[in-house]
Amino acid sequence: MQLIRFATRVGASRVAALLGAGIAAALVAVAAPVRAEVVTFDTTHTLFHESPTRTKMTVYTPGADLEVAPTDWLRVRAGWEADIVSGASVAVKAGPAYANTHPGADVVTTASVHDVRNQARGGFTLKKENVELTGGYAYSTENDYKSNSFNVAARTDTYEHNSQFEISYARNFDRVCDRVQSANDSPARFRALEDSSGCFTKSNPLRTTRDIGVDGFQGTWSQAWTPIFVTQVVYTAQVNSGFQSNPYRSVILGEGLKAQEHEPDNRFREAVALRGNLFLRPLKAAVRISLRGYYDSWNVKSGTAEAELEKYLGESFRVMARGRYYRQSGAIFWSDDYSGGDRPLGPKGQYWTGDRELSPFSSWLVGVRAMYAVRPATRIFGIMESFRAGVSGDMLALSYDEFTLGGQRIGNARAYILGLTVSALF
Amino acid sequence: MNTIRLILIAIVALTSACVTVKPQERSVLADPLMQFEGDPHAAAQLRHALENREGAYGGSSAVGGGCGCN
Repeated sequence: MQLIRFATRVGASRVAALLGAGIAAALVAVAAPVRAEVVTFDTTHTLFHESPTRTKMTVYTPGADLEVAPTDWLRVRAGWEADIVSGASVAVKAGPAYANTHPGADVVTTASVHDVRNQARGGFTLKKENVELTGGYAYSTENDYKSNSFNVAARTDTYEHNSQFEISYARNFDRVCDRVQSANDSPARFRALEDSSGCFTKSNPLRTTRDIGVDGFQGTWSQAWTPIFVTQVVYTAQVNSGFQSNPYRSVILGEGLKAQEHEPDNRFREAVALRGNLFLRPLKAAVRISLRGYYDSWNVKSGTAEAELEKYLGESFRVMARGRYYRQSGAIFWSDDYSGGDRPLGPKGQYWTGDRELSPFSSWLVGVRAMYAVRPATRIFGIMESFRAGVSGDMLALSYDEFTLGGQRIGNARAYILGLTVSALF
Repeated sequence: MNTIRLILIAIVALTSACVTVKPQERSVLADPLMQFEGDPHAAAQLRHALENREGAYGGSSAVGGGCGCN
């Protein structure tokens, strides 16, 4: 289940088979008559670490992608990515009202998390004149979550390539492991999943699977207005249907009443983003600005503002600094304590969650990146057309308006993200 | 329906009036600094980390179904 939150071991054989098939297809394509530039290899690595109050999480994400262009009208790609997660997350969430009536008791519990997600992906792009058609597939697996994702996209250039339009659709068929509940129980009596043992097998009669469907639509308009200024507008809509709670997490609802998180089965999400890139000739630099507004049917509303400044230092070296601000409201059913207390605490209808991502909060991100890219007149080592390597470091600081762990505010809510990317064109 | 027509007409009018960047003037626009998703794999991994901590999703340049995970 998407990593950073949960735990697993891997169905590596299936992933390896898919990845092998993808790479084999790519190599077959390479064997065809070739142009000067036919193969691009990318490997990207990200290390994420956070250790706020009571919890901590470290995620290492390696990835590798190979793209082959055997002809002018076809590109084929295959890739692999993993998330290797370790840490501790909240297993039972309680708020300040409950903590006040249980002085001295530790009303919040945490559980250790060790998880690996593997994803194999592949796709192709067909191009004719100003039109590109893309298709792709990704399969990912964890002990407690499996995902099959298909995507298609169409893109065209008009007005001497100054305008680009793209539409895309993606569909996920996902399954998540859950605990079997008693047929006579209501959600307020449901028990959380203890661990991922026996998931997706028939070895444990207390395990079942729940379906999750994701339909995503996106439209993009990119426009070159002047030789140094381009903009992009993106609209995204997504429909999630199925089990969307964290099956491992329980919420204290009242005295002696602890229930598995219970979120609505349907969620409609939409976002609009506006971007602008401006090249500053005297500085040999570019400023990139992005604004995004988001709304969903759970009444989460958010705004995001991002800015990047990237500058050349010489011909091959460039540095970038970025900043990002994010602010969101809480979901309509989110409460820091469902057991009682004065507003905004107290029950919020038929749903409950202990998810801090659904609470009102804001965050800041600041970061830097250095990139070295070279494309010499003659091939590097006789085989490489170009080479690119970059390192980045970011710090994310989160500030929760209401979320607490038993009344204790989340301190040190900072995350550190390190990135490494290497790319070569053969 | 009328609103959609108006939006489409506005887009076509705006774009057709802006064929001002000639092919020989596009060198800066082709520079890596001017790309919206110049390093898509690194951008996707950073986005993945952020979206797991936020309620919001979407608006990126990338094609994909996102995640129905919790």
